[in-house]
Amino acid sequence: MMRKLCVFAICLGLVFGLHTLAAAKTLKIGTLSPLTGPYAQDGTDILQGVKTAVALVEAAGGIPGFDKIEVLPGDSACDGGKATMAANKHINSGVHAVVGAYCSSATIPASVPLNEAKIIQITPASTHEDVTERGFKYLFRACPRDDAQAAAMVSFLENALKIKTLALIDDKQTYTVGLTKNIRHLVENHGKIKIVAHEHIAPGDKDFTAVLTKLKKIDPDAIYMSTYQPEGSLMARQAKALGLRAHLLSEDAVYHPKYIEVAGKAAEGSFLTFAKAPDTPERRNFEAEYKKMWGVKKIGSYAYYAFDAANIILGAVKIAKSTDPDKLEQVIRSTTWKGATGTIKFDHKGDRGASYIIWVVKNGEFVPYWNPQTGQYF
Amino acid sequence: METQAFLVQQIVNALFLGSIYALIALGYTMVYGIIQLINFAHGEMFTAGSFIGLIVLGALQRMGFVESHFVLSMFVVFAMAMAYVAFLGVAIEHVAYKPLRRASRLSALLSALGMSIFLSNGMMLSQGVSDRAYPPVLGTGGIHVLGARITYGQIFIVAFAVALMVGLNLFVKKTKLGKAMRATAQNRRMAGLLGINIDKTIRTTFVIGPALGAAAGVMVGMYYGSVRFDMGFIPGIKAFAAAVLGGIGNITGAMVGGMLIGMVEVLWAAFLPSEWKDVTAFIVLILVLYFRPTGILGERVIEERV
Repeated sequence: MMRKLCVFAICLGLVFGLHTLAAAKTLKIGTLSPLTGPYAQDGTDILQGVKTAVALVEAAGGIPGFDKIEVLPGDSACDGGKATMAANKHINSGVHAVVGAYCSSATIPASVPLNEAKIIQITPASTHEDVTERGFKYLFRACPRDDAQAAAMVSFLENALKIKTLALIDDKQTYTVGLTKNIRHLVENHGKIKIVAHEHIAPGDKDFTAVLTKLKKIDPDAIYMSTYQPEGSLMARQAKALGLRAHLLSEDAVYHPKYIEVAGKAAEGSFLTFAKAPDTPERRNFEAEYKKMWGVKKIGSYAYYAFDAANIILGAVKIAKSTDPDKLEQVIRSTTWKGATGTIKFDHKGDRGASYIIWVVKNGEFVPYWNPQTGQYF
Repeated sequence: METQAFLVQQIVNALFLGSIYALIALGYTMVYGIIQLINFAHGEMFTAGSFIGLIVLGALQRMGFVESHFVLSMFVVFAMAMAYVAFLGVAIEHVAYKPLRRASRLSALLSALGMSIFLSNGMMLSQGVSDRAYPPVLGTGGIHVLGARITYGQIFIVAFAVALMVGLNLFVKKTKLGKAMRATAQNRRMAGLLGINIDKTIRTTFVIGPALGAAAGVMVGMYYGSVRFDMGFIPGIKAFAAAVLGGIGNITGAMVGGMLIGMVEVLWAAFLPSEWKDVTAFIVLILVLYFRPTGILGERVIEERV
């Protein structure tokens, strides 16, 4: 009898002991990003950015009170339904915070259950205004917004490029339509530029020659490609092959080394909007570590933001000495963070105050071109 | 751009797209004609061909061979990609379809679906998730015909695709093996009784179909400039629709179907809202099947079916 009791007690002790050991000492960070499908490149960049941040913090001694930091990857597939499923899975596995998602159309629905479960979420890439316009307490955005992005582009077109006619192309996803809507609104209000065409393509398509031939007939001064990078690269190539004279314009999702790699010479001279980060020691340190860790020569644009988002979460846990979401939320909001993308201070909506500049593709690189704030060329 | 030039340009766009669909559709239709199996893994073979083309082309370019011997290196790239994928096709047939030849058609269909998922994920793991850039070998140079701009790359690709299709037609109609294929397609048991080696004939089909798909894969890679592990999915579906549209099992039908789908897609996008173009391709399919359930050429030339 005694022996049986002893065995029982030991078993019980093991079960409970192991349980508390596991629960108290692991900090779990979930990610949401498209790991499959056409935008898997950006999704992988984001996951790797988060893992880089975690690896650097662990190498520097980790976070007091936690034995280890675990990254739980979630595949949002740029799809609202899949992103929500992945978010629920994160909630069930007890993550303390989430970095993600990439596509605005995935972030917006996935943030609903996460916010209800009081889990801190920082999106590194979703620029659509609605992401932070819904008053979600636990949701932050580490990148700039699309209303600012559209304004920067329109200001460039009106004041620097001084074009007369513009054609818009989007692929009918939340993010791309949001941008063309903003641009159309601004352009029509100012009345300086005429929108001569507004075409839509299907995401994942490879052949845009029919639409581009249509635009060649209309012959606009510039074409705004509101798409993601895979379609943007192909569109630039086909536009040049068809002999279009229009300036090619695009946005932050196309701003990726892959755009230049795939489009090649056709990318030369295209203008894109993206934030310009100051060249800080934090940025250089991140670039060196990331390249070493993942064996790459060029870093995806959103790996920087994902790295910062993860660092903000890790830093907040360290400062708050807790994973209580309300404490974390306060710390994240009240602290000024220094990251690879510059200084981050969140406002009451959860947005950081960052602005866009115009970049040009020159000799196979993105080069700063024009600053909408000052109206000056770089 | 004038209206005439606009029309010519759109027809050039359509011809290009149509010949790619036709080449892929041939693989579906040949396999269906011989063993009544919809080979869902065919889209993945198209992708595999594209990747092999990229690897060979990249190697040749690093050696500086492409600049010095352009025609020869093109030949090598296409030959290697087609040979490898033909080998892959035979291997797939051996592993996934041959053991099920006497089983129900549903089992073979599921096996094909499984193979498709297996290959697609295998390529994702081995070649990565992102777009891979093709070396720019075709350039953007071109000529002007009636105001439309046609690049040398488009001319080369359409000419090569047509040559492959003519070659296939000659092969099926004139050679002994082609005759054996036609006989097997008509009645497998009878053909076997008359001394035709059925296994060999089926194997031949799984050499030719995937090889044509691989050629289309290399063409798409060279022309569009990028490849990705899931690139075979949408063209695969459309080419399958083209094969059904033309009358599945019929070689000429697949070519007609492919061209038709290309035309409908491009001309729709040229004059009407372009985001609907994929819908129209399938609406045409539904309409044709409603009035002609066997497809455009399905019945009339049944003895030509392979």
